[in-house]
Amino acid sequence: MMIDYQHLMTYFNESPIYIQVAWGTSLILAIAIVCLSVYLKVLRFHLRKKEIENKLLKSEYEALIIEYLYTEDELGDGHTFKESVIEQLQSAILIESKRKLIISILYNLTYEVSGELSDTIKTLYIKAGFVAHALKRLESKHWYIIAKGIGELSHFRIDNVYNNVSKFLDHPRLEVRKETELYLVELFKFKGLSFLNTLTDTLSEWMQLRLLETLQKFDDQQICDINPWLKSQNESVILFAIKLAQIYNQFEVQNTLTELLSHPKKQVRIAAIQALTHLYGIEAKEMLKANFNDLSLEEQICFFGMLEKLVMPSDEPFVEKYLFHKNFDIQLLALKILKSINIEKYMGLSKTTTNEKDSSMIELVNTI
Amino acid sequence: MDKKRIVLAEDNNTLSLLLKFRLEKEGYELFMAKDGKEAITLIEASNPDLIITDIMMPFISGLEVISHIRIALDKDTPIIVFSSAGQEEMVLKAFSLGANDFMGKPFSPNELMIRIKRILN
Amino acid sequence: MDTSTVKIILQILHYIFFTYAFLAISSYIVLSIISGKETLNYFKKKSFVNYKDILSSTLSPSITIIAPAYNESLNIVENVRSLLSNHYVNYSVIIVNDGSKDDSLERLIKAYNLEKINYIVNEKIKTKPLRAGVFKSKNPAFERLMVVDKENGGKADALNMGLNISKSKYVACIDVDCLLVEDALLKMIKPFLDETETKVIAAGGVIRIANSCVIKDGKLLDINLPKNLLVQSQILEYLRAFLLGRMAWSKLNGLLVISGAFGILDKNIAIAVGGYDTNTVGEDMEIIVRMRRYMEERNEKYRVSYIPDPLCWTEAPDSYKIFISQRNRWTRGTIETLKKHRKVAFNPKYGTFGLISYPYWLIFERLGPIIEVVGLLYFTILIVLKEVKWEYALSFLVLSYIFSVLFSIVAIYSEELTFHQYKKKGAGVKLILLSALEPFILHPFVLYAAVRGNFDYFFKKKKSWGNMVRKGLTTN
Repeated sequence: MMIDYQHLMTYFNESPIYIQVAWGTSLILAIAIVCLSVYLKVLRFHLRKKEIENKLLKSEYEALIIEYLYTEDELGDGHTFKESVIEQLQSAILIESKRKLIISILYNLTYEVSGELSDTIKTLYIKAGFVAHALKRLESKHWYIIAKGIGELSHFRIDNVYNNVSKFLDHPRLEVRKETELYLVELFKFKGLSFLNTLTDTLSEWMQLRLLETLQKFDDQQICDINPWLKSQNESVILFAIKLAQIYNQFEVQNTLTELLSHPKKQVRIAAIQALTHLYGIEAKEMLKANFNDLSLEEQICFFGMLEKLVMPSDEPFVEKYLFHKNFDIQLLALKILKSINIEKYMGLSKTTTNEKDSSMIELVNTI
Repeated sequence: MDKKRIVLAEDNNTLSLLLKFRLEKEGYELFMAKDGKEAITLIEASNPDLIITDIMMPFISGLEVISHIRIALDKDTPIIVFSSAGQEEMVLKAFSLGANDFMGKPFSPNELMIRIKRILN
Repeated sequence: MDTSTVKIILQILHYIFFTYAFLAISSYIVLSIISGKETLNYFKKKSFVNYKDILSSTLSPSITIIAPAYNESLNIVENVRSLLSNHYVNYSVIIVNDGSKDDSLERLIKAYNLEKINYIVNEKIKTKPLRAGVFKSKNPAFERLMVVDKENGGKADALNMGLNISKSKYVACIDVDCLLVEDALLKMIKPFLDETETKVIAAGGVIRIANSCVIKDGKLLDINLPKNLLVQSQILEYLRAFLLGRMAWSKLNGLLVISGAFGILDKNIAIAVGGYDTNTVGEDMEIIVRMRRYMEERNEKYRVSYIPDPLCWTEAPDSYKIFISQRNRWTRGTIETLKKHRKVAFNPKYGTFGLISYPYWLIFERLGPIIEVVGLLYFTILIVLKEVKWEYALSFLVLSYIFSVLFSIVAIYSEELTFHQYKKKGAGVKLILLSALEPFILHPFVLYAAVRGNFDYFFKKKKSWGNMVRKGLTTN
């Protein structure tokens, strides 16, 4: 054995450098493989153990929390059940994995229940000491931990930490700013939207959805004046405000919306047409009809969508011009509209049409 | 008097647990299903007095559960559906299929209790 | 030719092979480092995202799932049901029955209470015509579903029909036998909604292998490592490709392919470029390359996104015969796509797409097998000429083998530390052993299939639906 080893070493030392490097690297990598393989076993064992533990803990805490929620406030001194639950949770949150578990149970519940129970959940959250923990997260140097902390505070609507949170409105990471903005809206509803006045970031679609979803949760749907946002320099704010106008039926902003029909960005113009359709913008309709030929194809299609809803008998001559338009959507809508305002003329069409495509379209519209 | 039987189809485990706790305290007998398919099996087996079902469930949706009860089984067991915010259209469909009442999530369990009592008495 | 010329030629070849191998290995190292960083980043971002916040939002953008089907009657009813139960509000499902010769349509009509509706297709993309027509359910519980029966035209043609009919902003093109997890659409749509300055034109997901997993009622109940060595090896291969390769390419915005088994496209752009190419067997790769070109040529900022979560599970071939024909098709798809868009290669006008991702695919994916074969021939010649320096040959052979094993182990680690899907006891040991064996079980056949693919591409052009024989995922 010894001889073999020496023999190998001599062979290695006498080999050219390339071969030495190759064998040397192979040896190092092989050692790495062995170490990683052994460690994988440890890692997997650990992961498996943790998972089983978590499952057990989860059902334990779930039962505990549910019982807490349904326990009436006990009178009298001494150690009550509720106090003992709180104490258990207080000690549990010192351990990261347990804390995560409890939070996930509470989150889960808040999505499903409301009313008196959700208040009890919030009280539990505060009493068990989660707020302090979330605040500690705000001091982290990692942005994603801060963002998570803010997210938690706004989820449970913890309003007395406003000063700790609001300073993150200027945080360098976009994600942190977004969470902060959501916190404000969660707390102050429509008033919380005031950050939009000076917003320079682009509001992503995702963020807009989250804001709208947050706003829709409130019982009090008293909206503020959205005119300034419709006139914002920030296009994403305009688009967001148009959505607000549509969802909250803001008939009073019709004029501002009509002005947006000449906005330089097509996306804004289209959104404005859609909102005006929803808000019965008769004036806008007449305006668009007059400028129809200057519109882009998408706007034209969108306008026909508007016409379908807001059509009047006087629109007939206009519609008639587009019954055989080469665009499928426009033709379809034009036929539908004609059918709705002048069924006799519509029925007459099938007799005069010879083009196969046109007559099949007419027949189709006839059946819907 | 026999306990009234309720089938609860809900894929969120915590919520089912919460409702089970509450409803059993009120003296009902609970049958729990994690998805629509289990719900249908349970309903066929236990002939409940009330069915509570979530709309969004894996594999067989709440809507399909309703249509199964009303059309395939031809039963008029009262049905309460749970829907999440923004599923108004689904709720309309649920009603057109024959649901009796609905609760939008998040909801208050107390209110649910009131509605259950109203339907069962 | 005297011996010295031969020697010089051999010497040059020698260096070419060495450089190629060196570059390939370095690229693997670089890609895995990038993917490591990107994975960390992905998890940081994900750590505070609450998908539930918008889960049920009616304001979320509309998605149409387009699932082409050809002779899938065995499982189609179950598969459709699973597609209908995704957790997303604003989506619909179009099943395109591409001229199936079996009773798929009849089964669907019966199971979902379908009736024919009047419909004219707005032919934005030219396709084969409708056959039996367009069907919808009479039962409001299946309102999301639309079944389109058309004449046979191949998978790309069927997808194009779906693109024509869809009214949504986004389309999710999937294989009908895939199992999507509940939050698949929600997670995949997020990148489209997240970006503000760049336009996301497509997003791809990870494909996971479902053989031996327990699936009941459209739900993945239990994940197992299959017994079949070929399938096991593919699992390892997929882990490497998706967790290391694609993750890194996504960071570099260099993804050229989104698996046809599950990917979301921006519908308007997919239509603007003319839809799927019906003349290639690699339509899933080709359309992404074409959409990229379209954006580059318009000088618009864009991205092809990638979501590493295990969202889509599918059946992998478990016999060498089917496996080879699948890889043969993949090879031809790659060749066809790269050839069609050769203008992009090394063209600075196309930015990193032309200078990095296209060349990488060309050199390592397209030419890799060919270079390997030439290398093997070269080695054989050396043996015949007795010119082999065995010390070199052996040491580098061992080195490259050990490297490939280590690379697989890194992939296993990135799986364990992120998604940890193979939880069962013993799976870890199996995966490690597999890393050692896989170069012998899988690689020779991959190589063989690639060579066959090249041969078929140049000598017999054939085109058909892949003849994947399905056993069905729902039978336990």
